[in-house]
Amino acid sequence: MSGKSFWRPLLLALLALSAVLVVDIDEARAEYGDVVINNYSDAAGMRPAIFPHWFHRVRFRCKVCHSDLGFKFKAGGNDINMVKIIDGQFCGACHNGDIAWSVENCNLCHTGKPGTPTQVHESTVQKLAPVAQQKK
Amino acid sequence: MTFETAFSSRGIVGAVAASALLLASATAAAQAGKDLYAKTCAVCHAAGVAGAPRLGNAADWQPRIAGGTARLYASALQGTPKGMPAKGGNTAASDAEVRAAVDFMLASVKGAAPAAAKPAAAAPAAASAATPAAPKSAATVAAPAVTAPAPAAPAMAPQLAAVDTSANTTGGSAADINSFNRLLKPAGKRNPPPAEDGIHDPSNDGTHALMAPLAAYATLPKSNAGNRVDWVKSLNEGKINPRWDRANPNDVPVVIDLNIVREVKGSMPDVVYPHKQHTEWLDCSNCHPAIFNPQKGSNVISMAAILLGEKCGVCHGKVAFPVSECRLCHSKKKDFRPAQAATTAK
Repeated sequence: MSGKSFWRPLLLALLALSAVLVVDIDEARAEYGDVVINNYSDAAGMRPAIFPHWFHRVRFRCKVCHSDLGFKFKAGGNDINMVKIIDGQFCGACHNGDIAWSVENCNLCHTGKPGTPTQVHESTVQKLAPVAQQKK
Repeated sequence: MTFETAFSSRGIVGAVAASALLLASATAAAQAGKDLYAKTCAVCHAAGVAGAPRLGNAADWQPRIAGGTARLYASALQGTPKGMPAKGGNTAASDAEVRAAVDFMLASVKGAAPAAAKPAAAAPAAASAATPAAPKSAATVAAPAVTAPAPAAPAMAPQLAAVDTSANTTGGSAADINSFNRLLKPAGKRNPPPAEDGIHDPSNDGTHALMAPLAAYATLPKSNAGNRVDWVKSLNEGKINPRWDRANPNDVPVVIDLNIVREVKGSMPDVVYPHKQHTEWLDCSNCHPAIFNPQKGSNVISMAAILLGEKCGVCHGKVAFPVSECRLCHSKKKDFRPAQAATTAK
């Protein structure tokens, strides 16, 4: 009896949360290629980081980040954290106050709506995946 | 040739020359307007700083267009108390250039103008009726309000409110349910500024400091999909000059000009893969050998794999032009005659 009353609100809360997430993706219409990275942000009480591909490709060729800096072609697949960035890895290779603005500008990267899942925005995979998941 | 015919033919030549001159000056003015927009106006009119009407946003421009073009010219030249500086703060610009820039911004909403009345009319109805606008959002609003634990409710409420308003502006309201191509993104909603794009948090001050995509795209060649920018053309025409090295702006790529033709099944044209355009952006090690085995004929590629984000789909459909642009890859027409000849020979 007590077990049932414990699970029910949790289940409903989960349902509600997933509904919010689905609606968010449906209504979002951000720029093609914008990457939301939410590996640790939500758990740490920060907004998720958003990487605008379009802004960076005006200034750098793909090779600079994806070869020289070692970014894998996978949203959320690089296990980036702030310590690595401060040590000059990943984003920190440029966002060091020398080539681009430095790490104290938290709010310029961590700009996502809380709860936004890791994604490549407007990607084919994103457009196909929700449909496939709903059918399960 | 008599005097009369000579005169009349000279008159025709003169008229043609004059009209050509007029046409040329009109296109020159349009270009001047576009240039001034990119240089000065875009600072505010791309993102809508201080309530400035945004380029391509018909709803912003509708009430201003109603006041007449002359008043818009006057506002642009003399400034307004709302915050528009005279000539947008660029006093070096001539009056004609400023007018041309106004024309350029008006042209951006010309096609969308009649549609703009719809969301404006739908907004009050949605506001008074609160939730019945879209059945989907009504359901999600009801669910967390009833079932969510108390501490979670305040966090969700603003998010849902934001979703509700965006549903109205994207044409998700009940009035638009039978609208033409309701799942397509209308032209006025493409490339929105970060604060309105649905994934950035408008309550974060940093969001408003970010550049709006249209401010960057104003001078770049257009395409029909993705960012709506032709990135390869932008690079080739020197409109952008992205660095090949993190720190050294003078480093240049090693470009390989080698086309690989892949024969494909059915009637689709064969794929021509150009190393040239790819090596202008990428290093060999980005694709070889992890994604593509560097040996012709040894890679199994299918559209299904690409759609799921593998092979070409590692980039195409995420950042590079999307898979909707079939003909950019499938570009080599098949010659069906030899096959027909073979069948008739049998």
